[in-house]
Amino acid sequence: MPNAASSSAATVWAILRKECRSEWRTRYGLNAAVLFAVTSLTAVTFSAGRMPDRPDLLAALLWITLLFAALASMSHAFVREMESRTLLLLRLVASPTEIALGKLLFNIAFLLVVEAITVPLFLVLTGAPPVRLTQFLTILGLGTLSLAASSTLVGAVIAQTRSRGALFAGVSLPLLLPVLASGVAGTRAQWDGMPILADVRLLAAYAVALLGVSLLLYDHLWED
Amino acid sequence: MIWRIGIFLWIAATMAVALLVAPLVPVLQETTRVLYFHIPSAWITVVALGWSMLNSVLYLWRRDLRRDDHAAAAAELGFLFCIAATVTGSIWAKSMWGSWWNWDPRETSIFFVLLIYGAYLALRGSIEGEEKRARLSAVYSIIAFVAVPPLIFVVPRIYSTLHPDPIINTSGKIDMDPMIRWCFFSMLVGFTFLFSWLQSLRVRVFRLERRLAA
Repeated sequence: MPNAASSSAATVWAILRKECRSEWRTRYGLNAAVLFAVTSLTAVTFSAGRMPDRPDLLAALLWITLLFAALASMSHAFVREMESRTLLLLRLVASPTEIALGKLLFNIAFLLVVEAITVPLFLVLTGAPPVRLTQFLTILGLGTLSLAASSTLVGAVIAQTRSRGALFAGVSLPLLLPVLASGVAGTRAQWDGMPILADVRLLAAYAVALLGVSLLLYDHLWED
Repeated sequence: MIWRIGIFLWIAATMAVALLVAPLVPVLQETTRVLYFHIPSAWITVVALGWSMLNSVLYLWRRDLRRDDHAAAAAELGFLFCIAATVTGSIWAKSMWGSWWNWDPRETSIFFVLLIYGAYLALRGSIEGEEKRARLSAVYSIIAFVAVPPLIFVVPRIYSTLHPDPIINTSGKIDMDPMIRWCFFSMLVGFTFLFSWLQSLRVRVFRLERRLAA
């Protein structure tokens, strides 16, 4: 059994590396995501102006920007396989769960890169007050986890429908509304110096539930 | 046929007693009456979505398309009753809180549930091939149901809400009059039978459609 487990970990790792490499070759997804994030950030900060004394608005705008940037780009992990017709080949060498886990890790890494560029820029452009780093990063990290988990599962489902691109955001967003709500509440609370425990708990529970249920569902994503 | 008449008489009789005889809750006053429609609708929403999730699990397990019929029908009805709960809640909020929509945690979470199942129906509509549609819809329905318990049961406990919970909140600010309680539970039973009847109809339509297509 440890042999099987380690070989499937190796497969997941191989898929993650393959994803990173094919992304790095074209950088089309990453470029699009970062460009979209920075552009929408510019639109938001330009039209709303600097607002160092409005943590409520800042929290809302930050999460909306992040969510939109993620939704604009995160379906491509599976859609790309469909468009280049490489999914069958991938399925010959790996089980559905391994494929999905590899893609999940890739999506997490992808989001972290997008956030590493977007979030500091957002804080600078809006003149936001200094964040409480541990709290801020905890909330952001848990949000990222939920975002990646739901995007991976929904992305795999959407890739098999007729209207791939158009449907992805519409189907993902409702699932992410609880993340948006508690993410915004928690981010605002850390700026206001209030306790964030309730929000963190909700975010963590939701992330764990999404990940756990996804793991059970990955095996049913493909068939034929 | 006998079911249909029975359900009709049951709900009509309860409605008559609830609207004409049952007393009003002091705080809620005339708006007490919405309780007999609003809470059963919300209850049926949760029951229907739970039934949809359960049948989705069974479909993935057994691969029996009849399970998918049940899952789809329940999701449609859950969506419908969710709209009913949202609208009656909004009407109540207008007279008690002074605005149709206030983003109270209760309002927020029911609206999220509405959107999630709207997405489920949109997704269903865009998948070709009934096996594939059944499988992918089941996957989405199960992941969607992950959001329901936190939204319905956890969010209103964590964030402060103005929503009166006379049933669940047993330490309650509002004590339920026995008459109100009878009408309420009778309505709950009536709605549950109404749902199971509508569900059986919808499932039959799905089955006939499939036979027609074959």
